[in-house]
Amino acid sequence: MSTRISAPRLLIVDDELHVRESLSRWFIEDGYEVDAVPDAKEALAALGRRNYDVVITDIKMPGMDGLELQRRIREVNPKAAIVLITAYASVSTAVQALKDGAYDYVTKPFDPEALSRVVAKACERMRLEEENTRLKERLEASTPELVVGKSPAMQKVMGLVEAVAGTDTTVLIRGESGTGKELVTRLIHSRSKRCFGPFVAVNCGALPEGVLESELFGHEKGSFTGAAGRHKGKLELADGGTLFLDEIGEISPKVQVELLRALEDRKITRVGGTQEVPVDFRVICATNKDLEEAVRAGTFREDLYYRINIFTITIPPLRDRPEDILPIAQHFLQRFAQSMGRKVTGFAPEAQELLRRHPWPGNIRELANAVERALVVCREGEVHREHLPISSLSGGGPVEHESATSLPLEEIERRHILRVLDAQGFNISRSARILGIDRVTLYNKIKRYNIERRA
Amino acid sequence: MGQAPWRLELVRVGAVPPAVLRETAKLLEPLLRWPIHLPAGELDGAPALDAARRQYSAARMLDLLVAAPPGEGVKRVGVTPLDLFLPVFTHLYGYAQMGGQAAVVSTFRIRPENGQPPGLLLQRTAKEVLHELGHTMGLVHCTAPWCAMHPSRWPEEIDLKDMAYCPPCASVVVGH
Repeated sequence: MSTRISAPRLLIVDDELHVRESLSRWFIEDGYEVDAVPDAKEALAALGRRNYDVVITDIKMPGMDGLELQRRIREVNPKAAIVLITAYASVSTAVQALKDGAYDYVTKPFDPEALSRVVAKACERMRLEEENTRLKERLEASTPELVVGKSPAMQKVMGLVEAVAGTDTTVLIRGESGTGKELVTRLIHSRSKRCFGPFVAVNCGALPEGVLESELFGHEKGSFTGAAGRHKGKLELADGGTLFLDEIGEISPKVQVELLRALEDRKITRVGGTQEVPVDFRVICATNKDLEEAVRAGTFREDLYYRINIFTITIPPLRDRPEDILPIAQHFLQRFAQSMGRKVTGFAPEAQELLRRHPWPGNIRELANAVERALVVCREGEVHREHLPISSLSGGGPVEHESATSLPLEEIERRHILRVLDAQGFNISRSARILGIDRVTLYNKIKRYNIERRA
Repeated sequence: MGQAPWRLELVRVGAVPPAVLRETAKLLEPLLRWPIHLPAGELDGAPALDAARRQYSAARMLDLLVAAPPGEGVKRVGVTPLDLFLPVFTHLYGYAQMGGQAAVVSTFRIRPENGQPPGLLLQRTAKEVLHELGHTMGLVHCTAPWCAMHPSRWPEEIDLKDMAYCPPCASVVVGH
């Protein structure tokens, strides 16, 4: 794992050999891990191979100068702090570089104390920023029980999360859209030994094949039209942490093959590249698709299925655990009331009844959206039935679930989606927002139910 | 008792009073438990002069020190009153071949100021010799603030350190 236990990494870029040697030596003595290269081209190659905390670069170099290099570094390693080396004559250039986001600059020759101080401070800032990000993630995941619920079904889920979090086992999370699959994944990450590593999420269903391939594995400059520079993929960015592959059932056969190879070999090759890059991450996948059926139908590789289906956690839909609805709604009420500055005390009895009876096809995401929109119209006191968007959202007769007790759930869902789409003039974004699901999920459901726009 | 595997040569580079090296050696002997040799005569540092900067190149100084190879098991440390520099640095207190055989320590910028005890120079010189010697043994800077391998950016920081290595650093230098 490449979490911050090792020495800070420095990259020195200068065309003068004696500068590279002197600085390398100086910082090695200071306990840094140092690489030194003579030009921007090699610097970018080094940055493609590994991450650096600080890049110390000369401004004036043949070929690409330090300022251009700074811009390119922002693309491949945006977190690295950049310290520029300059002669007195180019201080104004260095000032421009500071405006462009460089951390600091030093003028030649350096006072050794000043240089060490600048680099130590840059590393400290990097460390604090990294720690800040991790702590925010941990904080967000620290009270999941309020969001996922306390019903026996969810207690069982939490038990599985606790059991698997400390291991490096691949986890498959199953559940309908909006049940909190990413939340559970973040919880596993925050309680794992990789919690100080990155958490990288990819929605595999949201991207076309070519884009997903580049998004997962990265690409080399010029590997396809528009590949202006080297780009690190999500698998590389997840090094040392957790990779969350949402909607794994949606990926194409070609990407399935490449993903399987990466998961087995723990190495990736960027699109258009030849060099293998070692990666070390834990994989958590999620799907709302029937993967077994997909394997039988030949649309999902059996070997990949077995590779990811090692430990399964199934999150029940909200309608199967009605006792969770009110506590979760109350949690969102408090959260939104605080952020929106509303003096709302709770839900009136008839609003509670409405919340309990609604089937929540969009699960927790839909519930959160409903509460948020209720608080837009309810400024203080209790939230009443008319504040909740449920009845209007279901087109006046909430999904027919009271009268249509003989209908299968899927049919109710299909009809409800159709009603919302009709009401919104088939505007996908607006309809998805009302349904409390994302656009990709809505597209998938439209495809699944063969819904067509009515004339 | 077997013979110590390492030997230290303290070489005068430029006009260093012989007494400074004798006293420095006395401070180092009980700690290092290495034989310390003080060659007669002094090495001329003039070839390392950079006329434009009016300073002496630390890298060139190391070349001068190893022009006559020190021999097996010998670490050679030059002590000089000359002001050392590297092209990228304004000045240096000392410079060493990492894991090599030679190092140089400059007393130019660590001389006591008016009112400070004159004996301070010997203490600082001895600590800097320990520090650079540590680098020739492959040690990097130590985080223990009192250890001789802790970096010193100004003279008063040298005074804050002990005339000793911390146990892990000592095991590398003295443990042999």
